[in-house]
Amino acid sequence: MTDMNTAAMPAEGHGEIRKHFSEQLEDIHVSLVELGDLVLANVRFAGEVVLENRLDEIAAVKAADEPINALYERLNAQVFQLLALQQPVASDLRFLVVASRMLYEMERSGDLAVNMAKQLGRIDGIPTDPTLHAILAQLLEASSRMFQRGIEAIATMDPDIGRGADAEDEDTDRLTSDLFAAVTARQEDIGLEPSVALFYIGRFFERIADHGVNIAQNITFAVEAHFPEDH
Amino acid sequence: MTNETPHEIGVDTVSPSDESVEVTAEEASVERSDVETDSPAPVETGGVLETQSMDVYYGDFKAVGDVDLSFAFHDITALIGPSGCGKSTVLRSLNRMNDLIPSARVEGEVRYHGDNIYASGVDPVEIRRRIGMVFQKANPFPKSIFDNIAWGAKINGFKGSKAELGDLVEQALTRAALWDEVKDKLKDSGLSLSGGQQQRLCIARAIATEPDVILMDEPCSALDPIATLRIEELMLELKQDYSIIIVTHNMQQAARVSDKTAFFNVALDTQGQRTGYLVEFSPTDELFTVPKEKATEDYITGRFG
Repeated sequence: MTDMNTAAMPAEGHGEIRKHFSEQLEDIHVSLVELGDLVLANVRFAGEVVLENRLDEIAAVKAADEPINALYERLNAQVFQLLALQQPVASDLRFLVVASRMLYEMERSGDLAVNMAKQLGRIDGIPTDPTLHAILAQLLEASSRMFQRGIEAIATMDPDIGRGADAEDEDTDRLTSDLFAAVTARQEDIGLEPSVALFYIGRFFERIADHGVNIAQNITFAVEAHFPEDH
Repeated sequence: MTNETPHEIGVDTVSPSDESVEVTAEEASVERSDVETDSPAPVETGGVLETQSMDVYYGDFKAVGDVDLSFAFHDITALIGPSGCGKSTVLRSLNRMNDLIPSARVEGEVRYHGDNIYASGVDPVEIRRRIGMVFQKANPFPKSIFDNIAWGAKINGFKGSKAELGDLVEQALTRAALWDEVKDKLKDSGLSLSGGQQQRLCIARAIATEPDVILMDEPCSALDPIATLRIEELMLELKQDYSIIIVTHNMQQAARVSDKTAFFNVALDTQGQRTGYLVEFSPTDELFTVPKEKATEDYITGRFG
C-alpha cells in the first residue's frame, strides 16, 4: 500500500449487511449458553440426588432432561439450516461447525446426569461410607466446575479457557482414580452391585468434565481456527 | 519499475518480432503436448504470469495500485472484491486488453514466462493470443459454429490443410465440452446456441489459438445455475492444461473452483479518490475458512460492503 489510507472503504454504505443472519447466529450463541446452564443445573441436581440418596427424586432428574433435549433438537435444526441455506464462511462457518459439535457434547452430558440418577435407583441407594461420600462430593464439584468452564468459554468466546482446560481437568481424573481405589478397597463390604454402580457414577462425572473440556477447546477452534495443542 | 533487461518476446534484441514470437509459441505448444501425454509438468519458477508492483491508471486516476500476484500453471485463480476494487482492471491488464482504452496506463510489470508484456516492441495481439480471454457476455462471431473456431485460427496464421483445420475445430470444441452437442450442426450460426453453449463456444475459440493462460471476466454471470456448473466443471478440466484466472462476483463460485483467491478492496487516497488494492492473496481453502485479514473476513462473511 503506497499513498493510500489503508482503512477499508465500504463500497456501498456502512454497517452490517447480513443483519438477519447475524441475529440468527447470535440467537444460537445465546441459546447454547442457555442449554449449557440447563445441563449444568441438572448435573448438579443429579449429583446431589446421588450424594443424598434422594431416591424419590430420580424421576425429577429424568424430567429435567426433557427441556434439554427439546432445546438441543431446536438448536441442532437451526444450525443445520443455517449451514445449508447461508453458505457460511470463515468465522461464521467455524462457529456453526463448532456449535454442532458442542450441542452433541451438551446433550450427552445431560444424558449422563440422567444415567447417574438411574444408577442410584438400580442399587436402591449408595453406601453411606464417609470416605466414598467425600470423594463423590469433590467429584461433583470438580466435574461441574469443568462443565461450567466450557459454558464460560462459549459465553465469552475466550480461546484461552480451552487452552488450559486439559490441565484444569486433572482434578477430576485424580478424584475418579481415588474413587475407584476406595471402592475396590471396600468392595467386600459394599457388595458387587453397588461397587459397579459407583464405578459408573465416577465414570459419568469424569465424562461430563471431559465434555466441558471439549466445549472449551471447540471455542478455541472457533476463534483461532485450530484446536489447542493438547486436544 | 527500473530494470530494463532484454525481453524474449520483444524486438529489442536481434530477431524481428515475428520470428521471436513464433519460437515462443512453438515452445508453448511443446509444453502443452508434454502435459497431455502425462509427462512431468514443465518446471515453472514462480508463476506462468506474474504482476510486480503493478499500478493501473485511467488518465490521472489510479484505478488499482501496487498489485503483486503470481498465477501458476494448472491453477485456477479467482479475483474477488466489491465493485470498483479494480479486479476487472487487473484482469484486463494481464493480456493488454486495457491498451484498447486510450487513457489506460500500466506501471510496474506484468511478466509472462518471465518477460514483461509491457516492454517496448511486444506485440499485444500476440500476447492476447497466448493469454486468451472470455467475457461476461458470450460474444460469438455472427458466423457458423465451425467458423467461430476456424476463423480465429486462420487469422492467427493457421496454415494446415482443410482436414487439419477440421481436426483443430473438433479438438477445441471437445476441450470446451461442446463437441457432442454441436457436431451435427457445425454450419449453424454460433448465435443459435443457448447462452451456456455460446459461452463454451467462446472458450473453444480462445483455446483454438493455443494460449496457456485463459482470463475469464465473470463468465457465468449471465448463465443459469446448471449452465454455470457446466462452465465450472469445464474450468476444472481445463486447468490441467492452462492457468485460468477468473473474475467473479459469486464468492461461492470462487470457493468452488479456484485454487487461490485474491481479494481486492477499495480505499480512499489523500485526494479522496477511490483506488483498488490487493488485500489478501491466499489458497482458496484458507481464505474462506481462516482469512488472514479482517477486511477479507468482513467481505466474505457479508458483514460490510
